[in-house]
Amino acid sequence: MSGAEPHSEAAPGEDVEADQESFVGTGLERVEDRRILTGEAEYIHDKAPEDAVHMALARSVHPHATIENVDTSAAEDHPDCLAVVTGEDLQADYNPMPCGLNEFEEWSLAVDKVRYVGEPVVAVVAPDRYAAEDLVDLVSIDYEQHEPVVDALEAREDETVIHEDVGTNVPDGETMEFGEVDEAFDEADNVLEREYSWGRISGVPLETAGVVAEYDTDDDAFDVDCNIQLHTLVDDTVYETLGYPPEKVNLEVPPDVGGSFGTKIAIHRYCVLAAVASQQLDGRPVKFVEDRIENLQGGDMHSSDREYRVRLAYDDDGTIRGVDTWFVDDFGAFPRYPVNQALKPLSVVTNAYDVEHVRYDYELVMTNKTSQTAYRGFGVPAHLHALEMAVDEMAHDLGADPVDVRQANLVQPDQMPHKIPTGNVYDSGDFPEALDRIQNIVEEREVCEGGLLDPEVVEAKREDGKYRGVSYTIHIEPGVSGSDWTDRQRTEDGALEEREREDVEELPEHFRIELQEDGSVQAYLATDTSGQGHQTLVTQLLADQLGVLPSDVEVGYLDSVTAPTEYGTAASRMAVMLSGATEGAAETLRHNCRQLAAEEAFGSALDDIVYRDGGVECQQSGERLELHELAELDSGRGQRLTRVQYDYDHPTTELPEFDEALTQKYPVYPTAAFAANAPIVEVDTKTGEVEILTFYSLRDCGTRLNPTIVDGQAHGGLAQGVGAALMEEFQYDDEGQPQAITMFEYLLPSTKNMPDIELEHSETPSPFTATGAKGTGEGGMIDGPVAIASSINAALREYDFVTNQIPMTPHRIRQRLRETDEGE
Amino acid sequence: MNDSSYVGYMSSESSSHSLDRPTRTVTLSVNGETVEAEVEPRLKLSDFLREECGNRGVRVGCEHGVCGACTVLVDGRATKSCLTYAVQVDGASVTTVEGLAGDDGDLHPIQESFHQEHALQCGFCTSGFVMATKELLDREPDPDRETIEEGLADNICRCTGYQNIYDAVERAAAELADADYPRGED
Repeated sequence: MSGAEPHSEAAPGEDVEADQESFVGTGLERVEDRRILTGEAEYIHDKAPEDAVHMALARSVHPHATIENVDTSAAEDHPDCLAVVTGEDLQADYNPMPCGLNEFEEWSLAVDKVRYVGEPVVAVVAPDRYAAEDLVDLVSIDYEQHEPVVDALEAREDETVIHEDVGTNVPDGETMEFGEVDEAFDEADNVLEREYSWGRISGVPLETAGVVAEYDTDDDAFDVDCNIQLHTLVDDTVYETLGYPPEKVNLEVPPDVGGSFGTKIAIHRYCVLAAVASQQLDGRPVKFVEDRIENLQGGDMHSSDREYRVRLAYDDDGTIRGVDTWFVDDFGAFPRYPVNQALKPLSVVTNAYDVEHVRYDYELVMTNKTSQTAYRGFGVPAHLHALEMAVDEMAHDLGADPVDVRQANLVQPDQMPHKIPTGNVYDSGDFPEALDRIQNIVEEREVCEGGLLDPEVVEAKREDGKYRGVSYTIHIEPGVSGSDWTDRQRTEDGALEEREREDVEELPEHFRIELQEDGSVQAYLATDTSGQGHQTLVTQLLADQLGVLPSDVEVGYLDSVTAPTEYGTAASRMAVMLSGATEGAAETLRHNCRQLAAEEAFGSALDDIVYRDGGVECQQSGERLELHELAELDSGRGQRLTRVQYDYDHPTTELPEFDEALTQKYPVYPTAAFAANAPIVEVDTKTGEVEILTFYSLRDCGTRLNPTIVDGQAHGGLAQGVGAALMEEFQYDDEGQPQAITMFEYLLPSTKNMPDIELEHSETPSPFTATGAKGTGEGGMIDGPVAIASSINAALREYDFVTNQIPMTPHRIRQRLRETDEGE
Repeated sequence: MNDSSYVGYMSSESSSHSLDRPTRTVTLSVNGETVEAEVEPRLKLSDFLREECGNRGVRVGCEHGVCGACTVLVDGRATKSCLTYAVQVDGASVTTVEGLAGDDGDLHPIQESFHQEHALQCGFCTSGFVMATKELLDREPDPDRETIEEGLADNICRCTGYQNIYDAVERAAAELADADYPRGED
């Protein structure tokens, strides 16, 4: 692999841009598609070394119990049994898994206690998965059951503490004040206080977690092929657990991963167990593929599950004076790695509104449920839902149209870039114009004869108990997270006060290019991909930057040992970070090609040589060298000029606007993509069903590098938003048993639930990024649920109805209608 | 512990398992080629196609018949291969996504349309959608939007929000009508 080769990092110099047509900005067809469409793509489930054996896991059936005895003798006596691993084996030779909070100890297999249904207790290995599952049936575990801790609000005062050594079910929380909050609330004409609930919802990619691990007995090292997300960042969760240095545990992710949406960041347990089993089996490759029930009930992939209390201070003229949010997040049995999703809403705490005084207060609570991980939006969707429902309530109280209340409080374009109270900065955008435009579009097309909101139709439907309505809302999608702030909750008390700006360390994005002998371009990403089309994006950028054809570009991936520690594909970073890294690397390569020609061929000064259309030219002599000639010239050199690497720094590192947030470890998200939404809904008040008739969405993510891919992200995000708003939820019964363990219970949107999506666009380039692009991988999931909820409120306005719970299932709509009827 | 080398759970003859797992012989056509194999009765068709026949384009997303990623055609009917046992298709003709592209490597019009319309992102559901579309268009060469929604309601996509899939199916229908492609030969 390229890691062994020397790479040069020459400073970019002057050169000439290629003057062919631009591929960036066009909907270049994806280079990933063909192998997928023909079935040739190799996902992790498809990796099958010939001598691979298969692991299965015996999992807890109880939410909270002490393990009295583990008897694996019957399994071991079975002729198909190749290996058995227990928690005790791990304790003897390995380490616990790193947790999101320092004081917790979690083993890859339960030791002493189980704390949720589905927690792995024993791993067994057999020649095939069918046999491995036979062995699981032979494992006998005796438990002494304890009272389960199920309700997050009650857990805070519960006598039962599920981690006795930690001593509390609330291991993390903080109250943060920005501005003069108490004064704002004292002085405002009105204060409202409401409670809202956000259900346990997550990504549920179609491909489950998978791993093939192989121990190398000669090198005492591990090769771990897996579909983990952020393999160059979270590889520590695997190598630290195994007790090996990073270079001895190589994580490699296939070019094709069947979706992640954040959820595969925390699959390290499986990687560790397969690696341990392979070590036990003297290096035989061990494969594990999570099945869907494992994934849903104990796959470490649930996400935000919050109870909110929101207070709004506002004046009679509709001006919002202060926002005060408190929430409890049910994190399940262990504080998983991305605990900081409790903090991300700080980056968008006031949404698109200009409000100076903010209190942000949260508590993370441990319960006997599956642990949380990241999911698209990373904690923001629940915050925006709670905030915007309160704004709808406020409009009701004032007897005002909610869209007027929203318009009255928006950040104005002349306030851009706009620093919000928590120190994050919105880069650009005209929010009032966007909200106005989506309203005009819907009124013109739908509030007319033949339209969905034709007043006569709306009236006629009402007689049938079907209420139509639309709400116009606007939402920020914070993009391109910094990395330094993400360990705020693991930072010692008091350390933040002493921090200086120089203490901030941001992770850059790493990228490599190698010129091939045939003149083609081989690029390497240091991040993994799960459907976003990064190979296409890089191909477009390099074709433009190097003056070659897309078909001349090959894009590969670096494994965790070859790549430096870097952040990767999360937090809508890639459009900005990857394009920055690609451009930087291309610029370096162009410079190096000129230098190479100067030194080895033309014998002229660097300034006399230009890079043009996939080659270099000497301006004086008119001599020209093509890329394949340059590669050949370079092939004998020790320090290879045609192999370059580049690390693109996070945009905030050059922006003093962010100094305060960076130093204090408040979330920094330097791009503010935004959407003005108008889903038209019809609520059947008899059945409680909500149908979205058409979803209008005006979206702005700055410069669109590939508009086709951008729209695809919007469609997909909104589909997940529809699922979250109306049907998806991991419920538990009072005894702590999970109720959604198949796709018959965890309901994903299908063709039967998805409305038509009408996308509108505006394009406000980011002043903070190399290409003007803003992060936009999460938008629809961030703004979809709240937009739908607000439209439900609009449809049921005459009932004074405001949704208080996500998802709004038919049952909950009916219940809420009854409550409203009773004047609650 | 048992260190004996594993040979293959479908081929009982050469198996070194000390347990005799029962097997049955099946003979079927997979993408036009005759396959004969000894299989355990509990072996799912999805696993049989992936592991024994090498058709790894058959994706397994839920193993309980909801997501449709494993959809293949059995005698021309869209079938969830995770809910079907290999022994049930003895004598049948099975088509997987690998059987669609032409011998010259050209994509089938359905595959090409999915590409053109950006109807796939992560791609894990794509094999199933392409096969479900094949059945739909064999049955309804000119489907309206409602028919498409109905015809693909047994398949889940978590990435695309379906909009581009509808467009791809409509485009494929038009292409197939123009090309007079052989359809429904099973």
